[in-house]
Amino acid sequence: MNANAFWHFLTLQLVKERSKHLSVILISMMIVFLLSSVLFISSSIRYSLEETLKVQPDFVVSRTLGGTAIPTPMAWGDELLEIYGVSQVTPRVYGRYFFEPKGKSFLLVGVDFMEEQSHKNLQALIETTDIKAFFEGKQMFVGQGVKEYLNAHFYKGSYNFLTPKGQFENVKFFKTLPSQTNLISNDMIILPLDLARKILGYDEEEVTDILFNVPNTDEWDMMTDKLSALHYDLHVVNKKEVQRSYANLYNYKGGVFLILFLILLATFSLILYQRYSMVYSSERRHIGLLRALGWSINAVLRYKFTETIVVVSVSYILGVLLAYFYVFVLGAPILREIFLGGKNLHNIVGFLPVLDFSVLSSIFLIYALPFIASVLIPVWKVSVTDPKEAML
Amino acid sequence: MMIKIENLYRTFHHDDNEVPVLKNINLNIKEGECIVLKGVSGSGKTTLLSLIAGLDKPSSGKVLIDGEPISKLPDLFASELRAKKIGMIFQHFNLFEHLTVHENVTIPLIPSGLKMKEIQKKVDRALSLAHISHKKEIQAGRLSGGEQQRTAIARALVADPDIILCDEPTANLDRDNSLLFIESIKELNRLGKTIVIATHDPLFEHLDFKSTIIPMADGKIVSSYDDE
Repeated sequence: MNANAFWHFLTLQLVKERSKHLSVILISMMIVFLLSSVLFISSSIRYSLEETLKVQPDFVVSRTLGGTAIPTPMAWGDELLEIYGVSQVTPRVYGRYFFEPKGKSFLLVGVDFMEEQSHKNLQALIETTDIKAFFEGKQMFVGQGVKEYLNAHFYKGSYNFLTPKGQFENVKFFKTLPSQTNLISNDMIILPLDLARKILGYDEEEVTDILFNVPNTDEWDMMTDKLSALHYDLHVVNKKEVQRSYANLYNYKGGVFLILFLILLATFSLILYQRYSMVYSSERRHIGLLRALGWSINAVLRYKFTETIVVVSVSYILGVLLAYFYVFVLGAPILREIFLGGKNLHNIVGFLPVLDFSVLSSIFLIYALPFIASVLIPVWKVSVTDPKEAML
Repeated sequence: MMIKIENLYRTFHHDDNEVPVLKNINLNIKEGECIVLKGVSGSGKTTLLSLIAGLDKPSSGKVLIDGEPISKLPDLFASELRAKKIGMIFQHFNLFEHLTVHENVTIPLIPSGLKMKEIQKKVDRALSLAHISHKKEIQAGRLSGGEQQRTAIARALVADPDIILCDEPTANLDRDNSLLFIESIKELNRLGKTIVIATHDPLFEHLDFKSTIIPMADGKIVSSYDDE
């Protein structure tokens, strides 16, 4: 078969029967688009979380009594420093501050800006901050969501926090936290440790928890045991446990998408059935006719295979490109709410473009193989019957 | 001998019943002959034509085209034989209605291995022989019955086959178009093509060129011819 003549005929058939092919391409494209969008979102979130957790401190210790968190004494920090292998011990004060009693809340994080931070992002934030300017008055870093929310409530340059003692603390906006960290910092306010103590009602020698790093990961399990032995009321969490809890959270969200996947698979099955039936009904006579006109079984199969590959590839490429645009350019409106919805403040997470080629090739195989099979199996069955019977 | 048919039987199976459609057909058709298989519906002439074209397989016996048993050849060779040596004109024309006349006529040559330029030349020649060149850009579904018939003739001729098989070629044509078709057949016969026509149309009884009428009834070639 001359390649030119073959492609000429194939193009001709694709163009002349465009309405049939377009409907298949459109529906298939939508399925690929939804599958790819979901996978793009989950890959992006997983990547962002991994990146965010990478910079978290290795350990967090706090004090609990009867299962309830109570203020942690600052003195524990000095004890921790004495343990071999522990570095960058950083006390932290944090807590929820409610804008309205039953309304939105912000996560207040008090940091000692004069100490080396165990949290890498905080360390980077401090290193890039003009500390002199920051301490010129009472100032704070705010997350994107906080800034938007306060702006909407007419707090343009500062906000008045009400302390448990009934006094107001006016704190100015210093900078907005980078949007890349929105997944975690969206509702966050970072401010000096002492100021946070005042607003959240902590005494001078108290903090919420103490963070530190243990560079030798082989020591982590032993470190947990050592710390637990230090104080009966000391509660310790390491980074791996945090990672696991985040993974569980997003696995749960992934369950919602499992349902979506199942719906998509059901729709896809219907399309496959429709394609399968179409070969037996409308295309059967055409195949018989081609055979009667001297086309061999191989020639018919090659023609139908190439035609299907073109349809599958076009819908796959368009679906993936559309999904990329929808997720990474438009920010996945609607679908984003399923993953990030239920947050305290409206989260303006920009999905970091992450292309997982193993996922993309899996989608192609999951989509293309059944599609090609649903066409080629009936085509082959019709081709091997006598042309006279096929043309009936 | 162009076409040789030996002890040909064709039986269909319907539920548990066997329905014999062709019974012991023996026939020799020489190169350049025009044969008219004549008979009423159900006499087996269309089945015989399908077996000659290799579109169906015999229950027993064989059909030889230039000494090659078409029904016993592997698909690739049988298809090649069909593509090169046999041109088929169907009762319902069997055109791809969404394609133009020109595109329809091109189809048999697609798997031939010829270059597009050569294909175009052959298609133009076939269109001209079938007197349908003026309609070549028209979609087949928009043609009249006669024009569709001429397109089918062009498609049958495009590979320059030695044998032309026609199955009830005038069944869907009016008298004028039927006469035009007979003229085309006459011209093809003059060009040396071997022609086999299965029909019950009385117009084929008195052709003004050399032809042989073979009457068929009840799946057999009958010696005497009964007009229906």
